[in-house]
Amino acid sequence: MTTMAPLTENSLASNSSIGLSIASSIASSTGASIGEEVIDSVADASVDATVRERPRFLLRRHLNKLRWLCLSLVFAALVLLPMLHVYQSYVAAHAYDLLAPAERSFYDAMAWITQPFTDDPAADLDAIKGNTWSATLFGLKLSDPLAIAGHIAATLSVYWPFVLSAAIPFIFTLVVGRFYCGWICPATFLYELNTNVGLALRRLGLRLGSRRFDRRLKYLVLVVGLVLSALSGAMLMALVYPPAIVGREIYYGVAQGAFGTGIVFFVGTLAFDLLVARRGFCRYLCPGGALYSLIGRFRALRIQRDVAQCNDCTKCNGVCEFGLDPMRDDFGQECNNCTACIAVCPTDALHFELRINDQPAQGPGILGPLYRRRLRADSTVAAQ
Amino acid sequence: MSVARRSMIKACVSVASCVAALAPFALSRLLAPQAVAASSSALKPPGALVEDAAFNAACIGCGLCGEVCPPRSIEFHRRDGGAAANTPYIEPRAKSCTLCGKCMIACPTDALSETAISEINMGIAQIDRDACYPWVDRGICGACVVVCPLGERAISFDFAGMYRPVVERGCVGCGQCVEVCPQPSVPIRIVERHDRSSASLNRAAQVADA
Repeated sequence: MTTMAPLTENSLASNSSIGLSIASSIASSTGASIGEEVIDSVADASVDATVRERPRFLLRRHLNKLRWLCLSLVFAALVLLPMLHVYQSYVAAHAYDLLAPAERSFYDAMAWITQPFTDDPAADLDAIKGNTWSATLFGLKLSDPLAIAGHIAATLSVYWPFVLSAAIPFIFTLVVGRFYCGWICPATFLYELNTNVGLALRRLGLRLGSRRFDRRLKYLVLVVGLVLSALSGAMLMALVYPPAIVGREIYYGVAQGAFGTGIVFFVGTLAFDLLVARRGFCRYLCPGGALYSLIGRFRALRIQRDVAQCNDCTKCNGVCEFGLDPMRDDFGQECNNCTACIAVCPTDALHFELRINDQPAQGPGILGPLYRRRLRADSTVAAQ
Repeated sequence: MSVARRSMIKACVSVASCVAALAPFALSRLLAPQAVAASSSALKPPGALVEDAAFNAACIGCGLCGEVCPPRSIEFHRRDGGAAANTPYIEPRAKSCTLCGKCMIACPTDALSETAISEINMGIAQIDRDACYPWVDRGICGACVVVCPLGERAISFDFAGMYRPVVERGCVGCGQCVEVCPQPSVPIRIVERHDRSSASLNRAAQVADA
């Protein structure tokens, strides 16, 4: 047992059960009935092998916090960039002496923020512009793949410079799947806060919607949207895609003086999430989520369940924003690698793996009561 | 359950899901009705595709052109526009284009493409000679001529009647004359140019250079 020292308490506590599983597999293969004493003797040898199989990433339980940091930074940038733009327009007009007192303090604040980075705000601050729908970062143009799909459908032509601006997001999505939905999307930031509001309201005793629909509905929304774009020759995707709406509306609100109607649509989706289905828009309607899911169908980096560590507590299913079923190995193409389930798992059963397909359903977790009951039933049958 | 009934239910479900898939688009369309009449004097940003339909199709509504515009003259159809919802426009009375060209560089699609200043086609200025102060002999002005970034090839004074502005063929329609015009009824405005397409504009520019 000396080799077990670096492991966590959880793993130590579950030693005997892991042994149990391996012993049971031996039992089933040989067809012999094995008593408790035999199991204990097998345990020591096999546990090390099971646990050592995958490299342990120390930070993985904190990835969810990292994700929240990421989401917050993106959202903060979307608020700050329009403010910097207003500041730039003041600078370009040499308008400091003409500003109202409030505008002047705004100017001073923006000057203080940008002062370490630039001497010439009117020119240098153009380096980072835009939002997640389409942005310019130091001369590199990045766009949302859905914008490309919508543009091709609306114009019925391919404009290569624009298509190539989605190459980097596309390649990332191929490898890590629908990560955009969990790690970057500014609407996700608000939707997850909305989920928390929903939980608080539920705790107060309000009955909110928790309907479930068919998740394939969003693929239909994508197809219908592309067909409608082609028929009407308008960029319809920008109107119904929450991250595009959020980025745009923040810009409108800050730099253009007033929100547009997109904010009404977005508040509508928030209400839909609260009153009809939890995180309903992303799960069932979002055309961008549909496109990302399709691109990331064979993503290489997947969250997978280690059946030997799982105790069927259902916490992962409860916390999954996309209504997936991690506890029964059902991640599918819709998982956005958000790592909320990894953070919540009390037994460290969930981890990242490099593989292009989910492992087939592994049955009940070996630390769980269902598995133990079945094992006991099997052994009594075998004993008789 | 009979086969007929089952297929009936299946048909109902597929119709219902199609309706559900249409719902977001219908809702967004309801929220962005057709352009209101007040924005009829609005211009498309420089370098824009000339045809409205092509421009609306090519613009993805990202707002980058507005975000790089130094004088913040680019506005957006935020609450109207129908098919043109979220596309940019410039309202020259409020704030005109300075022809700096940043929006053309920023645009990720072909909606705005980089264009030499002399080839930009936002429209052409048109002066109402029944209202313009010098033209009705109500004083001297010349604000439009002074402010024009293109100088003599775009707008100049009528030779005999000094200070009477005359628009030349080199006008690209940036609208700075409209913004600066002191007459309350604004007898200068930017209209769509019909004298030449953007292709023949090239030729005119070459002739002017020669």
